[in-house]
Amino acid sequence: MAEQRGTVGGPVLTEWFAKADLHTLDVYESLGGYSALRKVVTTMTAQQVIDEVKISGLRGRGGADFPTAMKWSFVPKDHPGPKYIVVNADESEPGSAKDRYLMENSPHALIEGAAIASFAIGGHQAWIYIRGEYDLPYEMLRDAIAEAHAKGYLGDHPFGSDHALDVRLYRGHGAYICGEETALLESLEGKRAQPRSRPPFPAVKGAWGLPTAVNNVETLSTVPWIIRHGGAEYASRGTEKAKGTRMVTVSGDVQKPGNYEIEIGVTYRDIIEGLAGGMLSGRDLKVFWPGGSSAKVLPASMIDTSTDLDGLKALGTMGGSGGIIVMDDSHCVVKAAARLLRFYAHESCGKCTPCRVGGNWAVRTYDRILANEGSQLELGILERVSDGLQNGRCLCGLGDAAGWVIESTMRHFHDEYEDHCLRHTCNVGKALAHA
Amino acid sequence: MKTTSVLSAHLIDEIKALPARYPQPRSAVMPALDLAQEELGYLTPEAMTEVATALQLDAGYVEGVATFYTLFHLEPIGKHRFYMCTNLSCTLRGAEELVEHLRGAIGVHEAGEVSKDGLFSYEEVECMGACEYAPMCRVDHRYHYDLTAEKVDGLVAERRSPAAAAPLSSSPLSPTLPPERGEGDKPKRAPKKKKADG
Ligand SMILES: Cc1cc2nc3c(=O)[nH]c(=O)nc-3n(C[C@H](O)[C@H](O)[C@H](O)COP(=O)(O)O)c2cc1C
Ligand code: SF4
Ligand code: FES
Repeated sequence: MAEQRGTVGGPVLTEWFAKADLHTLDVYESLGGYSALRKVVTTMTAQQVIDEVKISGLRGRGGADFPTAMKWSFVPKDHPGPKYIVVNADESEPGSAKDRYLMENSPHALIEGAAIASFAIGGHQAWIYIRGEYDLPYEMLRDAIAEAHAKGYLGDHPFGSDHALDVRLYRGHGAYICGEETALLESLEGKRAQPRSRPPFPAVKGAWGLPTAVNNVETLSTVPWIIRHGGAEYASRGTEKAKGTRMVTVSGDVQKPGNYEIEIGVTYRDIIEGLAGGMLSGRDLKVFWPGGSSAKVLPASMIDTSTDLDGLKALGTMGGSGGIIVMDDSHCVVKAAARLLRFYAHESCGKCTPCRVGGNWAVRTYDRILANEGSQLELGILERVSDGLQNGRCLCGLGDAAGWVIESTMRHFHDEYEDHCLRHTCNVGKALAHA
Repeated sequence: MKTTSVLSAHLIDEIKALPARYPQPRSAVMPALDLAQEELGYLTPEAMTEVATALQLDAGYVEGVATFYTLFHLEPIGKHRFYMCTNLSCTLRGAEELVEHLRGAIGVHEAGEVSKDGLFSYEEVECMGACEYAPMCRVDHRYHYDLTAEKVDGLVAERRSPAAAAPLSSSPLSPTLPPERGEGDKPKRAPKKKKADG
């Protein structure tokens, strides 16, 4: 593993990250690891686990921000036969690296969290769907699972109880859309990853047609801490409604890019100027993506915005996956947007027309604009395409996200778009290479 | 039935054993394609057909899955494939220039082209989830961080030297083969090897 870049010794998720060899079961356990799973399987009922997590206020960290306890309670309790926890370790949102950071530093926390979640829904099996490029986290998880089995913490009688628990791995093969939970389930079933229409929701008909809760890596890695310290202790952090701490990945034009654990409610100034050490020398902040490339951009003037998840929603953007992409005044917004549109068009699964056609249309339009062939017409096309991608016209969030990139960059940086389209100039010194 | 197969007999046996690992056999299709790709370097139509036969699936179905995912290669690739991230965070930190530099270093003109010695090819890929180390790339199942032109030259040179002539890392993809660590970003605290379990 490379040098850790991010928080070590933070309040919750990164509490033990300063400790050498935390990825081994011995070290993890010596610090208190697996005491939560022990407590759950030997002294608690499934409902008590769900209640504790409900008190914590924990909301999913994969992007959709849905209350975790509620998601678990939707899985039918009386369903006979298997039910599954599926861990979303596909992390492919541009700007987000925090799940990798968590898995590389503390694979046992994820395994423990996944096992607790399985218990909470009355299931016995968790599947970790991990993106194919994550070789090292995959190997660490594989070894950690083997360690947990060898110790008898997973298996037929974890900690001597009769509630069998197992965690298994499944590798993805390179497709952003696999992060969308129903596409992920299709992929896990050995199919092309195209989102399903809902209902039925995964809680009723998920992996292999059986009741399933899909949870993000960070979400589940938080759960053992909540069980150890109590939901109320977790809920004492954060804002009134958005509780606790979360990971953010700061990347781009900052002094100290990294994965930082923040208390929800700190401002983007605290993160960008504080934790990430500010902008590269001699340059000024121009724009940032507050929650992955799919979150609508905020201009530099909004750096004092709070990371409160509900506040971000009220602004029309989101905390999303926590990937904060920071761009300074040496870069061109139009070129950055063009690069992201190329991403969304490439990753479109092709199932719905607005996304498949709209994404490619946007890419061609940006190409013309960047080749100095733009005009008023191109501005109009981008507006129409962006509108066509949003507002429920697509089956999944990928289409909306593509539209948001266009819409939010055009809204805040219309002058840069006009420079390119109407005057065929770029007012930015160092331009990105043709994206 | 064909008399000669492109996949080795023991690999076919391994593939036939995969479906039992999953609640439904179809889930074995990607792990099976992994094994085939590992053995052949890339997936030929014959290989996909043999995978399909071993799993009792339709060949067209297997090909449909293989073409959907970018980590399956349907064309020959270099022995060492550079996956160069050019998404936004890496591009802000100079990824485009590095791709150009890499092309010169391995002597190819475009993505997908294999160098004359068969050693190298490259591909531009989307965000690989390591943006705090931008610009970055993946080679031989390992990530490489904070890339500069000199580091890229180093990665290429290491793989040209005789020591690197043997396969650098057996792929960790196989659920049954014990993995070896690749070069480069070796974990400084390698976990003890345990029996592989997917
Ligand atoms: C296009 C798209 C990509 C997504 N990618 C991811 C991802 O990489 N990781 C993730 O955890 N959630 C991702 N999500 C959100 C998942 O659909 C799902 O809401 C999440 O995994 C649920 O876990 P949580 O409740 O713990 O957040 C994505 C959603 C969309 C629409
Ligand atoms: S919005 Fe795009 S990615 Fe999502 S289902 Fe439709 S075509 Fe596929
Ligand atoms: S943008 Fe390159 S790793 Fe995320």
